[in-house]
Amino acid sequence: MSSETTATGPSTAERLHVAGLHTAGRHYTDASAGAVLSVRDLHVRFNTENGVVHAVRGIDFDLLPGKTLGIVGESGSGKSVTSMAIMGLLPQTAEVTGSVRLNGTELLGLSDKAMCRFRGNDLAMVFQDPLSSLTPVYTVGSQIIEALAVHNPTMSKQAKEARAVELLGLVGIPSPKDRLKAFPHEFSGGMRQRVMIAIAIANNPRVLIADEPTTALDVTIQAQVLEVLHTAQEETGAAVVMITHDLGVVAGMADDIMVMYAGKPVETGGVDDIYYNPRMPYTMGLLGAVPRVDVAEKSSLVPIEGIPPNLIHAPTGCSFAPRCPLGTEACLHGEPALWPVGGSGGGALEHKAACIKSGTLGADVDVHEIFRAPEVAVSRFDEIPRGDRKAVLELKDVKKHFPLLKGALIKRRIGTVKAVDGLSFDIREGECFSIVGESGCGKTTTLLEIMEFHKDQDGEVVIGGLSNKTASDAKTKAAMRKELQMVFQDPTGALDPRFTVYEVLAEPLENSGMAKPAIRKRIMELMELVGLQPDHVNRFPNQFSGGQRQRIGIARALAVNPKLVVLDEPVSALDVSVQAGVINLLDKLRAELGLSYLMVAHDLSVVRHISNRVAVMYLGKIVEIGDVDSVFDNPRHPYTRALLSAIPVPDPQLERSRERIILQGDLPSPLDAPKGCNFATRCPIFAALPPAGQERCLTLEPPLQPAAGANPAGANPAAGPGPTAPTDQQFACFYPDGELDTDMLVVH
Amino acid sequence: MLRYLAKRAVTYVFMIFLTTSAGYFLAVTSLQPALLEQEKIPRPTPEQVANSFRLKGLDPALSPWERYVDWLTGIVTRWDWGRSPNGAFVNAEFGDRVWISTRLFLASIILTLIIGVALGVYTAARQYKFSDRAITSYSYLVYIVPAPIAYFLVQLGAININETVGDRLFFVTGISTPGLDGDGWAQFVDMLAHYAVPTFAITIVGWGAYQIAQRQYLLDNVNADFVRTARAKGLTRNQAITRHALRVSFIPVAQSIAFTIPAIFAGGFFAEKIFAWHGVGSWSIDAIALQDVNAATATLAYGSVIFAIGAILADFATTLVDPRVRVQ
Repeated sequence: MSSETTATGPSTAERLHVAGLHTAGRHYTDASAGAVLSVRDLHVRFNTENGVVHAVRGIDFDLLPGKTLGIVGESGSGKSVTSMAIMGLLPQTAEVTGSVRLNGTELLGLSDKAMCRFRGNDLAMVFQDPLSSLTPVYTVGSQIIEALAVHNPTMSKQAKEARAVELLGLVGIPSPKDRLKAFPHEFSGGMRQRVMIAIAIANNPRVLIADEPTTALDVTIQAQVLEVLHTAQEETGAAVVMITHDLGVVAGMADDIMVMYAGKPVETGGVDDIYYNPRMPYTMGLLGAVPRVDVAEKSSLVPIEGIPPNLIHAPTGCSFAPRCPLGTEACLHGEPALWPVGGSGGGALEHKAACIKSGTLGADVDVHEIFRAPEVAVSRFDEIPRGDRKAVLELKDVKKHFPLLKGALIKRRIGTVKAVDGLSFDIREGECFSIVGESGCGKTTTLLEIMEFHKDQDGEVVIGGLSNKTASDAKTKAAMRKELQMVFQDPTGALDPRFTVYEVLAEPLENSGMAKPAIRKRIMELMELVGLQPDHVNRFPNQFSGGQRQRIGIARALAVNPKLVVLDEPVSALDVSVQAGVINLLDKLRAELGLSYLMVAHDLSVVRHISNRVAVMYLGKIVEIGDVDSVFDNPRHPYTRALLSAIPVPDPQLERSRERIILQGDLPSPLDAPKGCNFATRCPIFAALPPAGQERCLTLEPPLQPAAGANPAGANPAAGPGPTAPTDQQFACFYPDGELDTDMLVVH
Repeated sequence: MLRYLAKRAVTYVFMIFLTTSAGYFLAVTSLQPALLEQEKIPRPTPEQVANSFRLKGLDPALSPWERYVDWLTGIVTRWDWGRSPNGAFVNAEFGDRVWISTRLFLASIILTLIIGVALGVYTAARQYKFSDRAITSYSYLVYIVPAPIAYFLVQLGAININETVGDRLFFVTGISTPGLDGDGWAQFVDMLAHYAVPTFAITIVGWGAYQIAQRQYLLDNVNADFVRTARAKGLTRNQAITRHALRVSFIPVAQSIAFTIPAIFAGGFFAEKIFAWHGVGSWSIDAIALQDVNAATATLAYGSVIFAIGAILADFATTLVDPRVRVQ
């Protein structure tokens, strides 16, 4: 390794260049000839107060023109650092060695000024957070034009403007000419990401690096942006490096995949090799940890125990060995190199895995067995038909309207935001009910309305037999809180950093008047229940990992033995492998303790995995509700269909042939909601309807109606579970079987 | 825009009225000029004092409310802010004083701003290098050194220079040499000699605050995502910082500038006292010491007006640099 190369200047670049060729070895010499970007033995080290962090430890790949490489890994695996090292955007204190060649030109060791000839020209990048990636004080037009001006000093002003308009049109921004003068804050997140893509492709780059481009976006917007990236790639013929933690996002796009762990690639290969024939336990675990939105059969997710290693200490063995269920003594001696494992992926990357046991692993090995995934837990309530179970929560026509006011001293009402508009549903014992929808559809407001529990609320909330209308004095509220507890999205923010775990868990118990010795006993029970070591109770939250903190949050919610737990995006802040463990835990607790869940989530795969029933919300209203399998397998409302089709599935072949409904635009402001069906402005069926039919959608509000062949809720308790089981699926649409507008359908 | 300004102006006029009225009541109930009159030699009889005050519109026998109504009527109908116990008219005194204060501070405010912001940018670009550490340490030092001490030190320095040279290069007090004859050039040199010391003193202790603020806000933005985007477009690091980070970081600085300027104009009494420039600041202190109700209230009103102007300026500056804020 060339860790001694700290000098700068052309001589270093020269030397690295040679070193790069040298380490390329026999497998790469051929491929790198036609490669537009080739990376050899890339290492990045950061000097920190605790020592040198070796964030990237030897990356090699070749990217052919027009191809897509997916780099997959969890947070801290070094994938973003890799992309920043290629772009030369790491802080000067970072030590980067190896070789990065763009069309044969060595980029490492170039000065900032020299690098500027390539950045934004042949080499462009799209970043993760579109909200903060555009300068707030300049118009989007001037920011696009700047990218053009830097590399084309001779271009005329008119030509630059025309090109900017063309680019904005290309990324799908309506009336691009007028929008040139708009400021970033006037755009939604999805629109801003489109602008970012327009800036990136302004100069027809040869290589486009996209670092988690859709992570901060809603699924429907994610589908739009991925589509734009696809168009951009077709238009420019650029090679794309797609960095993501979501195995679904890259399945349909990538030709090759590189799986990173602890700063090193642990498996590389063509996309089919990786998804259908993984040969490294980490890849297998990652694939098994992702819930599938398209699979009804319930099996436990694969949890990967433990946390990634600290990269301050050089690993002496396989870096995954401490978490690997197959780890043996041999794994701890020497870090395994990437070995060819044979395969026919057809991509530029040969299928290789860094595991001494890759020979014994293959497509026929059951990942659930290897990782000892727990059995699917069965609740005692699963036997009882839904209609016979008691309701733990009932909502009747709950509404939350916010007045929109204008004026400084004297306010006048100029409109109403109907955040929640007439919601009715119930949750029975032992059942998980989920609410899904885009951000802004009213999911969180619904939860807040339930937690509010006040008699002046519009609508009735009944929690465990206690109604907000009849009694909402302090005593009833205290009783209500015992029935219902909440788990929050961000486990770090939800725990007081100055409380030990013991204090966190003791607080609700003390509040309910439990005696000291009983509290101690109960806390030990709780720790064990959520899979934490009881002797860790005196630690502070910052000594736990994200997944463990969420377990503490769950334990706190369970402390007072509630019947219903409200889960607000319980796993969205967690990495895939950690997420699987928490989902399994939630599943187990539901079965063992007979809990009911009310979950709000944007990840429909998680919802499908964990829920029994689901409600799809759009602009404050439920548009479809029912049993999770019937809603997901046979969605009737066009919005549900669009949502489901927008979710990427970690299955490359399926992804390539899937038909997608790409909704136009963003969730409209609740102010602009039409009189009739809220969804009409974006509806793919509405767009294809004859004017007479459209008239009906615009003027009449579609009521919830039972899906064909289904019985009303709980009307037929005699029917047992089975393929012919009646569902209580309901949806709100006049033309569920209408033709879809072909403009909104996309197949790749 | 005009409508917005008019709306804001109406609000501020109302607020100025409230603060000034409250100030008047406070002054009229707590300040007793009659007591000072007793120290005069020969000591006037209480009847004489009351009589003299009645003639100046400062009748102590009237109730505070009656005096307030008289005072307010005078202002509204004749723009007459009343008289001091020594018989001087507040209006006449005020005009001179405001002009003196403005002259004392104007040059140094401009210098303070330019130097402070420029050094803030310079040090942010060289974070933790020697120049940054030296300049920022200096700024913190002047932050904690009380301004009067710094002014005295500068005065002593100027006197030292004068002694070393053996000629009076700098005047450490006063506005101009009284009774100076000569042509325009001589007048100009005299003015420079009087301006140099106070301007220098106020400037070197003033820019520290701006330097620290500008450095801090710029550093917050140097590693912002949008700067990274700009670099990814092909701008060098320095270009990206000057074109993108600088303007964003200037938004909070612009606000603070607009608010500090009026504070200096109305409240720079240390500088005015030490350099013997008799402006509004020293007048407000003197007015209280001399139990002068009308002058004290007038300086308070002036402070409120200038603060309102500062607030409108701050709004204006923000809209100018930040397109997210639009005047409706």
